[in-house]
Amino acid sequence: MFVARSIAADHKDLIHDVSFDFHGRRMATCSSDQSVKVWDKSESGDWHCTASWKTHSGSVWRVTWAHPEFGQVLASCSFDRTAAVWEEIVGESNDKLRGQSHWVKRTTLVDSRTSVTDVKFAPKHMGLMLATCSADGIVRIYEAPDVMNLSQWSLQHEVSCKLSCSCISWNPSSSRAHPPMIAVGSDDGSPNAMAKVQVFEYNENTRKYAKAETLMTVTDPVHDIAFAPNLGRSFHILAIATKDVRIFTLKPVRKELTSSGGPTKFEIQVVAQFDNHNSQVWRVSWNITGTVLASSGDDGCVRLWKANYMDNWKCTGILKGNGSPVSGSSQQGNANPSLGSNIPNLQHSLNGSSAGRKHS
Amino acid sequence: MEKMSRVTTALSGSALTGRTMHCHLDAPANAISVCRDAAQVVVAGRSIFKIYAIEEERFVEKLNLRVGRKPSLNLSCADVVWHQMDESLLATAATNGVVVTWNLGRPSRNKQDQLFTEHKRTVNKVCFHPTEAHVLLSGSQDGFMKCFDLRRKDSVSTFSGQSESVRDVQFSIRDYFTFASTFENGNVQLWDIRRPDRCERMFTAHNGPVFCCDWHPEDRGWLATGGRDKMVKVWDMTTHRAKEVHCVQTIASVARVKWRPECRHHLATCSMMVDHNIYVWDVRRPFVPAAMFEEHRDVTTGIAWRHPHDPSFLLSGSKDSTLCQHLFRDASQPVERANPEGLCYGLFGDLAFAAKESLVAVESGRKPYTGDRRHPIFFKKKVDPAAPFAGLASSALSVFEMEPGSGSMSWFVDTAERYALAGRPLAELCDHNAKVARELGRNQVAQTWTMLRIIYCSPGLVPGTNLSHSVGKGSSCGLPLMNSFNLKDVAPGLGSETRLDRSKGDTRSDTVLLDSSATLITNEDNEETEGSDVPADYLLCDVEGEDDELYLLDPEHTHSEEPEYVLPQEAFPLRHEIVDTPPGPEHLQDKADSPHVSGSEADAASLVPVDSSFSLISVSHALYDSRLPPDFFSALVCDMLRFYAEQGDVQMAVSVLVVLGERVRKDIDEQTQEHWYTSYIDLLQRFCLWNVSNQVVKLSTSRAISCLNQASTTLHVNCSHCKRPMSSRGWVCDRCHRCASMCAVCHHVVKGLFVWCQGCSHGGHLQHIMKWLEGSSHCPAGCGHLCEYS
Repeated sequence: MFVARSIAADHKDLIHDVSFDFHGRRMATCSSDQSVKVWDKSESGDWHCTASWKTHSGSVWRVTWAHPEFGQVLASCSFDRTAAVWEEIVGESNDKLRGQSHWVKRTTLVDSRTSVTDVKFAPKHMGLMLATCSADGIVRIYEAPDVMNLSQWSLQHEVSCKLSCSCISWNPSSSRAHPPMIAVGSDDGSPNAMAKVQVFEYNENTRKYAKAETLMTVTDPVHDIAFAPNLGRSFHILAIATKDVRIFTLKPVRKELTSSGGPTKFEIQVVAQFDNHNSQVWRVSWNITGTVLASSGDDGCVRLWKANYMDNWKCTGILKGNGSPVSGSSQQGNANPSLGSNIPNLQHSLNGSSAGRKHS
Repeated sequence: MEKMSRVTTALSGSALTGRTMHCHLDAPANAISVCRDAAQVVVAGRSIFKIYAIEEERFVEKLNLRVGRKPSLNLSCADVVWHQMDESLLATAATNGVVVTWNLGRPSRNKQDQLFTEHKRTVNKVCFHPTEAHVLLSGSQDGFMKCFDLRRKDSVSTFSGQSESVRDVQFSIRDYFTFASTFENGNVQLWDIRRPDRCERMFTAHNGPVFCCDWHPEDRGWLATGGRDKMVKVWDMTTHRAKEVHCVQTIASVARVKWRPECRHHLATCSMMVDHNIYVWDVRRPFVPAAMFEEHRDVTTGIAWRHPHDPSFLLSGSKDSTLCQHLFRDASQPVERANPEGLCYGLFGDLAFAAKESLVAVESGRKPYTGDRRHPIFFKKKVDPAAPFAGLASSALSVFEMEPGSGSMSWFVDTAERYALAGRPLAELCDHNAKVARELGRNQVAQTWTMLRIIYCSPGLVPGTNLSHSVGKGSSCGLPLMNSFNLKDVAPGLGSETRLDRSKGDTRSDTVLLDSSATLITNEDNEETEGSDVPADYLLCDVEGEDDELYLLDPEHTHSEEPEYVLPQEAFPLRHEIVDTPPGPEHLQDKADSPHVSGSEADAASLVPVDSSFSLISVSHALYDSRLPPDFFSALVCDMLRFYAEQGDVQMAVSVLVVLGERVRKDIDEQTQEHWYTSYIDLLQRFCLWNVSNQVVKLSTSRAISCLNQASTTLHVNCSHCKRPMSSRGWVCDRCHRCASMCAVCHHVVKGLFVWCQGCSHGGHLQHIMKWLEGSSHCPAGCGHLCEYS
């Protein structure tokens, strides 16, 4: 069901991140060779590199697109302790660059004293904001008060996580019921078994980000974290790449029950846990509707996970990274004994009482 | 193994031992230098000049060379060097331009030996000849280099760089007479010590100052230079012109560079600004440091490998007043922590995946999880410094594309484009949407639509026999539809699109479908007859004021339709529903000022129920109330919508919400609705479905959503005759009192898309002009122009 299309990336060192834009027609890659490349999809479906430029003086860990409402804007973060915001400028008609695009650095965010490990734009409804996290354990949230001026960013919040941060994820929910929320993962490898994932929530009253939850069960280094797109769910789904793939649900406990004003309390549940990669898991990524999770690990494979109607997560496909024949069948997935099936299933029928009738 | 044995022999049988450790100095260090025996280190700074013994577990202060009551400027050291042949001989470079030599063998407390006060400004660097015992070289800020013979009182020769300040001087290990010097203007010069008149060779190595250089200990022709431009360059000096063989990009200006012993391609660097870390680079992988030492809290000023044949011990002094010994195996390895993979899910279900080639190439790339990636080196037997270099790492990038029609998001686009959300009777909308879903192979969704139709619109079109059958079956409980057509049967499988066992519902839904298609046909018939009567004007969205005409049409419309129904009374619940919802007139209003995407027939049709309900209201009440409580289904339908939303199919949730309108709206809280709307609109915009997204915005009843269109949208209209801006009062220009932009075909004002011929500037409604041009190529306004449209 998948066709692999190999692209000669021509990066001179490891590629650390790939990112699609809002419309899925552009792609950005970043690499240790300190450059970022932008790829555009042609009519025929081929990807063409339309820009490649040196962005940092160290490995570029992450690259991410802003919502196109703000222009063609990229943010990158690097080992060189900075994050940068880039804007594509299409050449004016007068000069010879006409029609050609080039990327201009709009700002450099230099607040970190250590490697900046992740950068993410906030969901669009929050305005033009971005969050960075760094190896010194601080999450910084910047805002461009004037969306027309990408060179003015003010540091709005500094949240200390106490642990070397490796990844962040905004909760993409656009619901008014869900205050801005950010999850932070740490790849701290020290032997003390501390929880490596923290969730921070914006408090309207104090106007600060406060820790809402700590996922106590995750004690191994976390390399990637991703909230699932929330298209009208009341709860949140969080995927974590650590020594295995884990999927959590965070269900807000109804406000009436908690003391008002404080951070939202969540009922946290592991709904799936897969060690099929048999090794370190590096990346997790959700599809657009938040129904399929892709994960990649040291085994060089991409695995796809999907929940069935019983909220039982199963492997639905394995893709080999080198583009060799793809085994997209679900047989393989079912053959793997998944931890997910051991976890108490959440009944996800229209109403619980008559769910049992289904099988009768 | 072979390599290791060589290391121990090189260390003459006594391998170095020790651990990562540091000791506090009294003052910031400017430079350090190691004694030949690898057991002592000298630290020099503005107010410190001490010798420390390196012991197993700690540093021990051995000697303080800063003696005397009055601190002399001569003791303010910028650089220090320990003679590599004579363990008792040291030289310092003072900030006041004095070069001092020290003899540890002197019996007195003051070990100062000789004083050369020839430089006029700070001496940046001193360097002993590697093999000659008495030759000392100095480089100073004043731009001169001087060579001293320690047996004489004065300098032997003076070399003028003819350029700016000298930052570093280093004797070549390869050539007895050669030394290299680096300058603040970016130049590197090569000198023959016998020829002070001019340099042998000069080239520009860096942009900005070159702070340091180091000759390769083995590859005698290689010179590494580091500059403020954050680069370390390795030059091959054996060729006629100095050739750059490697270039390392660091993150800050390079203050010191030192080749790592026994590792041909490794060098250590530190910076004089911003960055406090020490990096060890493999020059063949110039972007990622092989190792990183993070102990210092301030700028590292001096680095030295402890022993010329031992690659694992590095000593460093820093402005934070500490002296450190770093063990290579304790270094953090950024490469190990670096993420070797990138993965991103695309919009259309495609996946971009970049992975380190070694991971994807062969199965051997698989390695078991070691638990802790930061110190994996502990588990290895021994660091082999000369381990074969894995080669420059590179990644393979590939995009996994969904084959068309196999679960990609095309269903979403198709559905969004083809769903009818408004402008027709509910039954038709449901039928239409069910048909769309079915054609796209989304049977669960199709059934849901069919069920909605049955729930809300009565089984009006179901043939009598079939209906009575189901009614008869369920008559006891009064919920015939629910019993025979259980929601639960269908809903669970909706997300996965798998075919569930629908044996029971199958036949029924099929008959329903058959019927619905029949209705569609009859409706189309109606439309056609209608279309001939109604002025084509209604094709565009300027129907205001013409509602009356439509009203006039309506009875005729309904009459023509009604004979088609087999059981006309079955259609009543629909009408009942609409009457039941309070803002009937408002509904009408909505329709009037919203764009009618589906055209005039939609308008006409939407008015049907309202109109006919007046006459049939009494009957429907009686029929409906006896069977089903009004709110019975809405709770269920709301649950279903939530289910769809949770399954990621917000499209369904919003579509049903829009289609059912008031029937379910009140049962779902405003926030959730808003959330669904924003999510769906966001999705539509992702797929560039602007028209659909706009329609959804318009049809939404949530204030927060419907205002999305109005925010920051201004329409400026100028009169087409006098070019003046039009007032907001209407489509008549204040100034010339003429109607602006009249359609040449229908002679009405065009408020939507206006198309005109650039030749004669006549034009009108897009549809009208298109229609006109089918029959004639002359201008509809009668000006005789042969109109051209591209």
